[in-house]
Amino acid sequence: MATVTLSRLVKRYPDKTGGGVTVVQGIDLEIRDREFMVLVGPSGCGKSTTLRMVAGLEEISGGTILIDGRVVNDVPPKDRDIAMVFQNYALYPHMSVYENMAFGLRLRKFPQDEIDRRVREASAMLGLDPYLERKPKALSGGQRQRVAVGRAIVRKPKVFLFDEPLSNLDAKMRVSTRAEIARLHARLAATMIYVTHDQVEAMTMGDRICVMKDGRIMQVDAPLGLYNHPDNVFVAGFIGSPSMNFFKGRLRKPAGPGPLLEFVEANDKAEPARFMLDARLSALGASHVDKDVIFGIRPEDVLDAGADSPTPPGRSIEVAVDVTEPMGAETYLYLNTGATSFIARVRPTDRFQPGQAVRVSFKMESAHLFDAVSEQVLR
Amino acid sequence: MKITRVLMFAVLAAYLLWVVYPMVWVAYSSLKDDEAIFREAFALPAWDGLRTENYARAWKEARFGEYIFNSVWITAVSVSLIVLLGAMAAYALARFYHPLGRGVFWLFLSGLMIPVQLSIVPLFFELKALGLLNSRLGLILVYTANGLPFAIFILAGFFKSLPRSLYEAAVVDGCSEASAFWRVMLPLARPGLVTVAIFQFIGVWKEYFFAFMLTSGEAGEAVRTLPLGLANLSITSQYRSDYGMLFAGLVIVTVPILVVFVALQKQLVKGVTAGALKG
Repeated sequence: MATVTLSRLVKRYPDKTGGGVTVVQGIDLEIRDREFMVLVGPSGCGKSTTLRMVAGLEEISGGTILIDGRVVNDVPPKDRDIAMVFQNYALYPHMSVYENMAFGLRLRKFPQDEIDRRVREASAMLGLDPYLERKPKALSGGQRQRVAVGRAIVRKPKVFLFDEPLSNLDAKMRVSTRAEIARLHARLAATMIYVTHDQVEAMTMGDRICVMKDGRIMQVDAPLGLYNHPDNVFVAGFIGSPSMNFFKGRLRKPAGPGPLLEFVEANDKAEPARFMLDARLSALGASHVDKDVIFGIRPEDVLDAGADSPTPPGRSIEVAVDVTEPMGAETYLYLNTGATSFIARVRPTDRFQPGQAVRVSFKMESAHLFDAVSEQVLR
Repeated sequence: MKITRVLMFAVLAAYLLWVVYPMVWVAYSSLKDDEAIFREAFALPAWDGLRTENYARAWKEARFGEYIFNSVWITAVSVSLIVLLGAMAAYALARFYHPLGRGVFWLFLSGLMIPVQLSIVPLFFELKALGLLNSRLGLILVYTANGLPFAIFILAGFFKSLPRSLYEAAVVDGCSEASAFWRVMLPLARPGLVTVAIFQFIGVWKEYFFAFMLTSGEAGEAVRTLPLGLANLSITSQYRSDYGMLFAGLVIVTVPILVVFVALQKQLVKGVTAGALKG
């Protein structure tokens, strides 16, 4: 097994102007031995291109890629000791399931009994035994997906690459296959790089997640690290569902003694919402008094001030309920201050009706302040 | 609804008869002698008077035995070369970017647009200079060059329609460019290859113009193909009136086409409709 190191990796496509489009803008990333690294981001962020450069399917415009300490920039895919699972599976339609899995081993001139042993082992692991003689077109989407995984694992490569392998499956299949791939990773103890645009997949599967946007890395961390300590507004908004609420506004030092700051919403339509920050946020925001900031709070940290806890004065705001969405185990409230719409995740209750005015407060320990210009978190 | 169905079948049945009957007529007339053909043109041959010797005479007297060997040899080699070279050229043109790629593709296509008869005079002298008149190799080269544009046109479309990820999977699995072509892409283009092979087989098998122009005299006799033999037979039978033998010759020429077509027609339909349906 192996580490994969990307350093100052660049991918540029030429265009008619001659300047070219740069889709990967010099990223640095180290994927550790046996790590499950997820590259996640919106479409066009360069995640698939990055993976394809690791695979050797795209030429590298700049920087280096090392697999297991060896620079592979000019090494053809077949000599990189990688295996890849494609979004559309890319099974060979003219070969049986068995031959699809055996193909890579045959090319490498493995002896027949070794090929047979490995294919049978993989097919048993993936529950493909009854289908070995079938052609891919006689398989369901989930089965094809498993064959594609099987084709990768028989080779016992140093690195597994997955390019959005679940996006062609239906929702139910996706959840079960997700777990299957995670189990596979635990069992094979292999280095895996997994590309997805789905943050739920990223959160549930990754040892670490690399969030990308516009060809740059926004943050690399373990799932809960990203969730609880986002570096910037993009990561804060991308990870988590429903996503984090953002309030634009200013920090103000209220009259009177005490170190605490007040957040005043930017609202030109009505009386702006204003609330006091706690000591931690006040300290973080000290450098930004009377400057524009973004206040970030996750839906589960928006508290029903009437029921959850009695709130000290100045710590809660009054907002209107737009829509309620009962999910069963919880209810999403779509609220609005007049200038900002946001979501609260509350215990299931039918206490709230659209149009009703309610008081909410925020769990300040879990709130974040971002610089409004750089969109970086204040810390 | 029912009426239209009945009507449709009636029309199709009539068409079938229109197409098939002449062939059947030729086939059974080839077992009659001239007198029987003229007496009752549409009657079946009498059981006790089957003139199977028509075939023997066509084979020996009209030298169909030699011509069929030439035809099979020339057609087999030409079609194999067309399919093989066409597939390789089409793959390169469809898969790889080269600044001149489009130009080359259009150059090949122009071969489809220019009537071949226009090229016969320079071609004749070229083959003469190369010493390839009256030779099987000469005909094979001409047929191959002539068939390539069509093959490239059809197969380039085929290779373009194959998903790129299959090639990528092959390359990651351990293929070189060449083995990705031979082991993955070429087998997947089989319907296209069969389409090309059938069309070219029919075209070369019944080709008359080049065979006539590029073979002549005693020297050409040894490399003549079936269409030339057939033409010869039909010309002489005008004077000697030997329709039985002419029909036997026709059957000898037609049967291989029918056999190949029936054997491969499933693949042919697949090739012609490829890309029209998902799957």
